[in-house]
Order: sequence, then structure tokens, then C-alpha cells
Amino acid sequence: MNTEQILAEIREANLSYLMLAQSLIRSDREQALYRLGICEDTANTIGALTPAQTMKVAQSSTLLCRFRMDDELVWNLITSHGKNAANESVGRLHAAILLAGRHQEAA
Amino acid sequence: MARNKSILTESRQIERAVVLINLGARLQVLESETDMSYERLLRLYKEVAGKSPSKGQLPFSTDWFMTWQPNIHASLYLNIHEYLNKATALDEIDVVIKAYQLYLEQIQAQGLEPLLSVTRAWRLVKFVDNGMLTMTACSSCRGHFVTHPHEIAKHYVCGLCNPPARAGKGKAAGTLQMRSDADALSH
Repeated sequence: MNTEQILAEIREANLSYLMLAQSLIRSDREQALYRLGICEDTANTIGALTPAQTMKVAQSSTLLCRFRMDDELVWNLITSHGKNAANESVGRLHAAILLAGRHQEAA
Repeated sequence: MARNKSILTESRQIERAVVLINLGARLQVLESETDMSYERLLRLYKEVAGKSPSKGQLPFSTDWFMTWQPNIHASLYLNIHEYLNKATALDEIDVVIKAYQLYLEQIQAQGLEPLLSVTRAWRLVKFVDNGMLTMTACSSCRGHFVTHPHEIAKHYVCGLCNPPARAGKGKAAGTLQMRSDADALSH
């Protein structure tokens, strides 16, 4: 991928993210906060963006969204690393409990 | 309690009641969470569900939440509930409803049966409110799990980090399965 392609892909991803976030926020604001892992102020800002503003915000050389899990534990649970596939469901549920418990980013 | 005569308030309550009925809530939940009369709720229930509500007492024991699989479901639900509680400024019953919808999604996305009914979810929140149940952080994974109050946090290990011997050996569809490598080989 050359630089131009990279920037185009990042813009695509940013735009998809913003549009998804907006439709989530507009259909059910509270559930959107949980799904997106953002605080109410950020949700208000994203929800109020006009299409032109959304395009501008998406036009960035870096991604707007980031990973919500930054620890090995959750990664291993989701990818069922080092375990057999039969326990995959248990691992995903465990990861969901751990992620749902992290409300400090939204409070 | 004086009945609220506001039509808007009433319409919101009916809306809520319909959502709760569709999620499978028992009549007692509706009676407790709306100002509507029993007769009106009964009529609404039949209209929405197309059948009479189940009779009998609500499950009242906290023990159910302590068994292995229900505890996992209850903990997932309560974590979502706490998340919404912290992040939003909703009425208590709306938090119960929205958290339950998110819980259902997560469970169904994994092809599991939702063990926790909306009535149980509602009870769970009540149990936590009046201190009969609480959440304790697992000393191994740091996740929060439903426990009795006064659990010794230093030594608490959740049912996922340390499953009981017989956990997940059931064959029923939609339940959690846990297999050790030895089991996998013999099957």
C-alpha cells in the first residue's frame, strides 16, 4: 500500500465509523454509549455533526476509533489462545463481562 | 399513591409496559414499575402477549444467582446495567430494560439460551439495591461478579477463572460447554 492508499483506507474506516456511531446514537443514545464505549459529551458531538463536518473529521491521517481492550487477558479470552475451541463460548462470555465492567471511559 | 392523570405520562408508562411484556416480564414487574391499575395491566398483557400472564409468586431466592451458569449470566447483565447506570441518566426501570436488551443480544449472538429472564434481571437489581447481593471483583481476572455481600474480596475467584468440577458438562443445547482436553480426546 502506498501512502495515498493508506490515507484513503483510513478515511473510509473513519467515515464508516462515524456514520455507524451516528446511526447508533440517533436510534438509541444510551445503548449507543455502551456499544461505542464513549461518554455522553462525545456522543452529543458526534450526533450533531453535519454531513460536511463528518467528511472533514473523517479526513485524517490517523484512525478516530481505538481498541477498547488493551490487555492480554481479554485478548486471550476472545481469541481462545492456548485453549481448545470447545471453550470458546465461555471465553467470549468472560471477555464480555470484563469489557462491560469498564465504564470509567464512559462515566 | 395518587394516580398521575397526565396523558403523556400514562402513554410513556403504557409504552414501557408493552416493552416489558414483549421481553417476557411477569405482571408483578409491571405493577411495581407503573402506576397503571391491575385491571388495565391485565388487559394490556393479554392484548400484547395474546395470553394470560403466568400466575404464582415471583422467584424470591438469591441462591439461584450463585449457581455457576446463572451467575455468569447475572454478572454479564449486572455489568451492563452498571455501565448504563454510570454513563447515562435514565430512569431506573429504563436502565433495566435497555441493559436487558443488550444482554439478550450478547447471549443470542453467541447462540446461547438467555438463562436470565427479564423478571429475574429486575429482581437482581432490587436485590443489589437493598444489599442482599453485590458485586465482587475476582482476584484473578479483576472482572466483577454477582456475590453475596461480605464476600472476602482478597480470596474471591470467579466461576470462570475457577469453574467447579462439574461445570459445563451438561449436554443441553444453548448452555455453556466446558471441555477439558481429556474430554475432547474421548469424544
